[in-house]
Amino acid sequence: MTDTERPGEDSGPVRFMTQHIALDYVVRVSPLAERFGEQLRSGRIVGQRCSSCGLVYVPMRAFCPMCTVAMGEEDELELADRGIVTSFTVLTPIQYHGQKERDDYALASILLEGADGTVGQQRLTGMPLDQIRMGMRVEAVWAPPEERASAAGERGYGFGNAIEAWRPTGAPDAPTAEFAAHVL
Amino acid sequence: MCSTAAVTSGESTYTLELPYRRSVGPVVGAFLTGLRDQQVLGSRTAAGRVIVPPLEYDPDTGDAVDDLVGVGTSGVVTSWAWIDEPLRKHPLDRPFAWVMVQLDGADTSLVHALDAGTADAVGTGMRVRIRWADERRGHISDIACFEPEVDQ
Repeated sequence: MTDTERPGEDSGPVRFMTQHIALDYVVRVSPLAERFGEQLRSGRIVGQRCSSCGLVYVPMRAFCPMCTVAMGEEDELELADRGIVTSFTVLTPIQYHGQKERDDYALASILLEGADGTVGQQRLTGMPLDQIRMGMRVEAVWAPPEERASAAGERGYGFGNAIEAWRPTGAPDAPTAEFAAHVL
Repeated sequence: MCSTAAVTSGESTYTLELPYRRSVGPVVGAFLTGLRDQQVLGSRTAAGRVIVPPLEYDPDTGDAVDDLVGVGTSGVVTSWAWIDEPLRKHPLDRPFAWVMVQLDGADTSLVHALDAGTADAVGTGMRVRIRWADERRGHISDIACFEPEVDQ
């Protein structure tokens, strides 16, 4: 399957052909990811606490991989939409076909308050890129409710488009000991 | 590239798209240039066969072919397959037939879409003609599709 762009050859011999090969594919979202997405659409971040070891997982994952113990609705808990930047990277977008980013931007791993694992690939906003620090405290910038449609489409890895970005709270940075165990 | 296009309950649709820019060479380049001018070119081999779309080499002998000749813009359906549910990237957004068309003056067939309305209207041996795209740019899609030669 192909489609084309106008190659800008209105006259003279045709020398090039643009061709876009596209694969559309449908991913089945697990019932748990679907449920996590529904909660995100209502503005809630829900995790699960293992009944055996007490570790808190977000997004939910149905079982504790440390204890191999199943987790269910009775193990769910809501987490605050605040956390700590444990790691980050600043990206300079290459302008390939389909690229939507134009300017440098930052993605971070964020350790939510009360969670025992980080959530990666989170956009940072509201601060100069060269002032981002490990340990910085941030809070979620939620998308308007009507724009959270694909929150369930992220296969349980992140927050979909429900959370646009994270911005600094202005509170003092977390001491290293608070997040050192979560830094790769 | 990956983007979330649509979500229905329990499913998520993604599109992975790979953009290519291909050098077409002197023979296919001439063919595409011809399409832009509403002209179809074939390559004539030493034995006199006319191959459409043109090839750079005679498939029978392997000899280079540089003799390009014009062929007709109408022809005969030599084979077909009906498509009930067109995909996003198909040339027509309504049910159509993929057809092999042997253009008048050609000895081989080319693949394209036939806008025939219903499968009942399609048959091997039927005559069809090119419907040109309004905007042509030197691409196979300059042929918007084929249509039955009877006036609709």
